[in-house]
This record gives sequence, C-alpha cells and structure tokens, in this order.
Amino acid sequence: MSTVLEVVAPRLLGPAVMVAAAIIVKGYADVGDGFSAGVVVALAVALRYVTLGAERAELSLPLLRHAPVLAVSGLLLALVIGFVPVVVGDPPFTHWPPPGEPVIELGALELTTAVAFDVGVFLLVAGALVELIHQLARLVEGRRP
Amino acid sequence: MRALRQAPLAWASVATAVAGFAACLGVWLTGGGAIDVAWAPTLGLRLDLALDGLGSMYALLATGIGALVFSYGAAYLPWHLELERRPAREGWRFWPWMVLFMGSMVGLACARDLVLLFVFFDLTAVASYFLIGFDRNREARGSALMALLVTGVSAVAMLIGAVLLYDAYGTFSLPLLFERAEADTVTAVASALIAVAALAKSAQVPLHFWLPRAMVAPTPVSAYLHSAAMVAAGVLVLGRVHPLLARSEAVLDGLVVVGLASIAVGGILALAQDELKQVLAYSTISQYGYVVTLYGIGGARGAGAAALYVVAHAVAKSALFMTAGAVTVATGESRLSRLGGLARGLPLLAIASGVAAATLAALPLTIGFFKDELFFAAAIEAGPAVQILAVAAAALTVAYIGRFWLGVFAGQRREAPRPIPFLLVAPVALLALAALVGGIVVEPFARIAEDAATVTHAAAVEVTPAYHLDGRDENLMALAAWMLGGLVLLAPRAYRAVAGAAARLGDVAGPRRWYGLSLLWLNRVSDWAHDTEVRDLRNSIAAVLAPAAALIALAFAVTPSRGSYDVGPLAARDLPIVVLLALGALAAVTVAREDGRLRPVLALSVLGFALAGVYAVAGAPDVALVAVLVESVLTVVFVGVFARLPPTTVRRPPRRRLNAAIGAAAGVAAFAAIWAALSRPTATGGVAEEHLERAPEAHGGDVVTVILADFRGLDTLVEVTVLAVAIVGVASLLRRGRAW
Repeated sequence: MSTVLEVVAPRLLGPAVMVAAAIIVKGYADVGDGFSAGVVVALAVALRYVTLGAERAELSLPLLRHAPVLAVSGLLLALVIGFVPVVVGDPPFTHWPPPGEPVIELGALELTTAVAFDVGVFLLVAGALVELIHQLARLVEGRRP
Repeated sequence: MRALRQAPLAWASVATAVAGFAACLGVWLTGGGAIDVAWAPTLGLRLDLALDGLGSMYALLATGIGALVFSYGAAYLPWHLELERRPAREGWRFWPWMVLFMGSMVGLACARDLVLLFVFFDLTAVASYFLIGFDRNREARGSALMALLVTGVSAVAMLIGAVLLYDAYGTFSLPLLFERAEADTVTAVASALIAVAALAKSAQVPLHFWLPRAMVAPTPVSAYLHSAAMVAAGVLVLGRVHPLLARSEAVLDGLVVVGLASIAVGGILALAQDELKQVLAYSTISQYGYVVTLYGIGGARGAGAAALYVVAHAVAKSALFMTAGAVTVATGESRLSRLGGLARGLPLLAIASGVAAATLAALPLTIGFFKDELFFAAAIEAGPAVQILAVAAAALTVAYIGRFWLGVFAGQRREAPRPIPFLLVAPVALLALAALVGGIVVEPFARIAEDAATVTHAAAVEVTPAYHLDGRDENLMALAAWMLGGLVLLAPRAYRAVAGAAARLGDVAGPRRWYGLSLLWLNRVSDWAHDTEVRDLRNSIAAVLAPAAALIALAFAVTPSRGSYDVGPLAARDLPIVVLLALGALAAVTVAREDGRLRPVLALSVLGFALAGVYAVAGAPDVALVAVLVESVLTVVFVGVFARLPPTTVRRPPRRRLNAAIGAAAGVAAFAAIWAALSRPTATGGVAEEHLERAPEAHGGDVVTVILADFRGLDTLVEVTVLAVAIVGVASLLRRGRAW
C-alpha cells in the first residue's frame, strides 16, 4: 500500500462521520437518508481495513467492536418508532408531529419521529456493514499462511 | 415451598395456567368478551379475538387441564431428566414451550379471523415440534419433524381455503363470511381445504400416523397436547368454521366417513398395542373420530354432542395419560405385557384412573355416560347405518380402555411399585373427581357445551343430557355397546388376531409408509438439485441467470408485443446519457473478456459508476447517491480481499461456450425486458403523484426519503430487518456464530 493511502485513509473516518451526520440532519428536506449515511460510514471503515489490515484497524479503533450492538440498537429504535403508534391505536408508522402541526427545529435539525426512524436505519446499516466487513476480513486473514 | 424453590419455572407455568383459567372463567360467566383491532387493514386482516361460547370452552380446557398437567409435570420432569441423564436446568427447554403452546391454544380458541386462525394453528405446531423433540435423540427428532410436517403442510390447505374465500367474498372475518358465503363450489372447496388441515391436526385417518409416533415426548406433553390441546385444535377449527362446512352436504358426508374410519382404525389398532401410551394415542385418534363424525352429522344435536364429547374426552384422556406416566415412574415399565396387579400398591391412582377409564367407556355416574347418550341420539337422527356403527364404535372403546385399565391394575401382581410423589397422583384424582361430579351434576358442563354449540350451529342449541330409567333407544344402544365390549374383552385371542393383522397391514401399505417414501424421494431430488447448483461458481450463477432468462422469455411469449418496443427520438440533451451508457457497455465487455482478478473488478465498478451517472443525469439523485456509495464500498472490499489472497494462475474456465450462451440468453432477456419497460409511457396520476403531493404535509422536502421513512416505513423496516438477519447468517456460516 502506498504511504499516502496509509496516511490518508485512517483520517477519512472523521469527515465521513461528519458527512453522515449532515445527510441525516438535512436528510428529510434534501437528497439522502439513513441508508446512505450508514454506507458512508461503512465506506470509511472499509478503507481503513483495506489499508491497515483487520488487526491494526481494530486495534487502532476499539470502538469498532461495538458494531453488532450498534446494529441491534438501531433495529430496536426503528421497531419502537414504527410500532409505538399501534399501542395508542394508530396504524404502525404514524409519525409525530401529525400533518399540519408545527415541527420543533434545532438549527437545521427537524425533530420528528421520521428522523428518529432514519437514525435507527443509519445505526443498523452502519453497524451491519462494519460487522460484515469485519467477518470478511477475519476470514481472509485466517486463510493467510 | 421446597418444590417452588426447586422448580420455579414449572410453578410459574402452573400459576400462569391457573390465572388464565380464572380469567377465562370470569369472562365466560360474565357473558364473554371480544377484542377487535385492525392489524393490517389494507389486507383486510383484523386481530379479531372473541371469548364466546366455543372460545371459552376450549380456552377453559386448555388452561384448566393445562394447570393440572403442568403441576404433574413439575414432579414428572425432574424424574424424566434424571432418566435421560440431563441436568435439571434443561427445564428451561420445556416450560416456555408449554406456556407458549397454552397461549397459542387460547388464541386459537378465540380467533374469529381465518388468517389469525392459521397463525395460531402454526404456532401450536411450532411449539409442539420442540415439545415432541424434547429428548434430543434421533427417534424424538424424527417424530417431531413428522408431526410438524403432517400438521404444518396440511395447514397450508387452510390458508389456501382462506384465500379462496377472501377472493370470492372479500373478507377473512368468519362472522362476515357466515353472512356472505353462498352454498356454491368455492365455499365447498374452501371449507373442504380448511377441514383437511383440521383433520390432520386432530390425527384423523389417513393423516393419523404422526400421533402414535409423537408419544416419544415426555408424558406431560402427551397428556396435554394429545388430550386437550394440539389434537383438540383440529376439531376446534371444525367447530369454529362449521357454518361454512354446513353449506355443502358433500363436505359433511366426508367428515362422517373420515370420522367413522378413524374410530375404526384407532379403536382396532388400540387393541393391538402393548405400550401404554400407544394404546392411548390410538384411542385419541378413535375418540376424535367421534367428534368429527358428530360435526359431520351436524345440526343442533350434532354440535351439542360434539362439544360435550370434547370436554368429557379431554378430562378422561389427560387423566389416563398421566396415569401411564405415573405407572412408569412407579415400576419402570411401560408395557401392558409386563404390568399388572398394581391396584393394591397404588390404590388412589387405580381408583382415579378407573373413573377416567369409565368416563371414556361411557359408564353411568361419570360425565362420559352423557357424551355417549348425546352421541347415540345424534346417530339415531343420522340413520340406521350410522346407528349400528355408533354401537360398534362404543363397544370398541369399552374393549380397549377395559384392556388398558385391567392390564395395569388387575390380575397378577408382578412387582411392588415404588412410592411415587403425591403430585403424580393428585391431578389424576382431581380430573376423576371432575368426571364424577359431571356424572351427577351435569348442568355446568351442559351449559358450556350449549354455549359452544350455539356458536358452531349458528343458532340456539339445547343440550339436555340426563339419566332416563326407561327403554329408550339411547339406553339400549349403550347397554349393547357395554355387552359387546365385554364380549370382546373375554375373547383375547380373537381380538389379538384381528388387531394384529390390521396393524401389519397398516405397516405394509399404510400412509406412514407413503410419508416415509415421499420424504425420501423429496430429499433425493433436493440433494441432486443442490449439489448441481453449488458444485462451482459457474453453476451457482447459471442457476440464477438461466431460469431468469427462461421466465422472461416465457413472459414475452404470452404477452402481446405490438407497440411494446418503441425506438424514441434522440435529442441533443440526451448526449451525456448516451456517453455514460457507452462507457458502461465497454466496461461490461471488458468484464466478460478480461482474465485475472483485479481488472474485471475495476471494470465492473466503472460499469456501476457509469450507471450511477445515468441516474444522476436522468434526475434521480437519491438513487445515484446510493449507487455511488454501494459501488464504492464494493470496490474497496473487492480490492481489499483480492490484495490479500495468495496469487494463483487463473486458467481459462472450461465450457466457455456454454457460459457464453447462458450469459447471452440472460442478457438478451434483460435487454428485452428493459426495452419494453422504457417504451411504456410514464404513468401519470396514481400513487406517485399522491406521494409527491403529500410529502410537504409529512414535513419532508425530499419525497424519496419521506416514502422510505413514512409512507412505506413498514417496508423499510422489513428490509433493514432482513439486513440484520443476513448478518446473523453470515456470522453463523463464516465464523460459527461469533458476532465479533
């Protein structure tokens, strides 16, 4: 691997997370959603794996080992957002606030349950893809003589 | 208190059952209750549960007998686990399934929607699979699989019937169907299909063979599933959909035939069995044959008699199963030929099970007498042929259950029984007490049977069992049955010869053999197809491409093609698209022609990026974004993996011509399909328009995101769930289930 790549690739994770956050924050008003944001993060992680190798990539970023937890909590979040309305008697995926009512805004972020659902999808996709990359990398490393 | 500490799970299950019983009883006494929630309204699915008469009866049976069997199991399971040399904590693999079974049984009892009925039906099948296969040996697994396949595959018939009815009458809801359904062919076929599922569940001929094999399960499972629950689920469904069945005489006649055949087959084979639980299993087949016959006879009498029959049989049969288990615990034996004379050593058990046997044999002073009284009354109404067969059936019952009880408790004493826990006897005694009480004060039992039959018959039904000390037909038939049964018992050689011959015939040409053969051949075909597909990468890909090409070709062959292939004009602003597509085509050719590893991969990603560019130019930025991202990840992962693989010399793959032919066929098919799709004018109006219109209302600017998170949120949720499931699959395939 070229030195340039080896220096640049690990440093791409920060910007990637920033981009992902931006996609989610403005996602409901513009192109992009939780899925794209998750793939962006996974892309940066994959680049890390490719340049550093599985061993070093995971040693340098211990956070990665929480990927399965991240995926599961994303799925749970999405499930909760989707099915809590059923408890109240509405059809699933009735979002809050309802049509016509004002949305609470935090800067560019609009606080709706649809955005929370998107965050759940993001967590699941990012966690799942990182997990897949990890599994694949371990498999390839294991085969090495 | 000690028992509670030793088996907290068992007692929690008992408490659940008791609470459920109390709740069901309360609701029934206060006139029933119902829940009706829209579940998936667009599909017409409702969570329509009602604790009406029929629901109450089966729910009370499931929870009441459940409570007794569970407390019996609290004493039995530790003994069983010790016998199997398994640790006591394995109870965790038992009790949750029992409780799930009870829950789904109650749900099934209350369901008034065909799809809901199917769901609970299959839930009971799944729980029973794990319960029958509790001893994880080969025999138990095979039996569990057989029960699951026979009842589960036939349950699909029920789903087909439900869809047929939905197609014709636009609803899955049973009350609505009862209003709308006409007496036509669709109703007849659909109700026959539903009946097939119910009959398989109730172990009726010719789908009865799973039940005797299911006896490998621990005794509490048999006592519960095969008396008051699993097999009762079938006749419960018959009772629930009976107004539909009654639309067609042929279906009702079919039920009578199946029921009488089951009575005969079960009764005769019960006489041939040596194993205690096998006798009872065949007896169950025979007894549910009575109920099916009664539902086939139909009418107010048939419905009322069937309901009371189910109650009396459930009480007696679960007591008898528990007796079999208790006897085995006390002596270590489970065969009639090695047992005998236990009445002195186990007096309470002998009396209690004697009452249960008398209930099954329909002797007076037990509730069983009334079940046969009503059965005979319905048979008289159905005609002389059924009447004669009814007496013969009752005589068979007297014979085999007499043989069972006398064989265990009377005669020469073989060995002194060991003392057994009181908990193994108490539930039997309680059930016997219930049967006795029912034999003297039948009113409460008659009332619940009346309530249940009212639902089945869809009109008011009176169930009035009573003792009549006169020479009416019912009494004469009962006397004839007892005497005939007694005569059979007095001629053991004759009945052994007949029953033995029937059993041998069943082994040679019976449905169980056909089941085995069809399973064998299914396995062989499946193995062959699988081996061919996964032999190499080429076959795996061809297995996708070749059928896809064939299917598309078929679709084109049968659809009119006039005007479907349109060559539109080429404007100057389309130039970027043309360039990108040309790049994509070049890349595709490179992928196909290049040997080696990295170059085809890179060409493939060029193709992907070119297509992403097309999306971006054509005004689908969301799709373009996702395409670019996915393409990048794939490329990085490919390169990363290939960079680490050991270098190999890539040989030209053999059979290159066949590869090219399959690839070309798939390519042409895809080309034609896409061409036809692009030739169609863009659909205006419809759902897309509505989505665009309502996106701002849902506080969204980007309609694609709003569709994903709001309009079609459920779809997205299912898709991401698939992703999560895929990870579990990858983890278990690649690294034996290690998550990290």
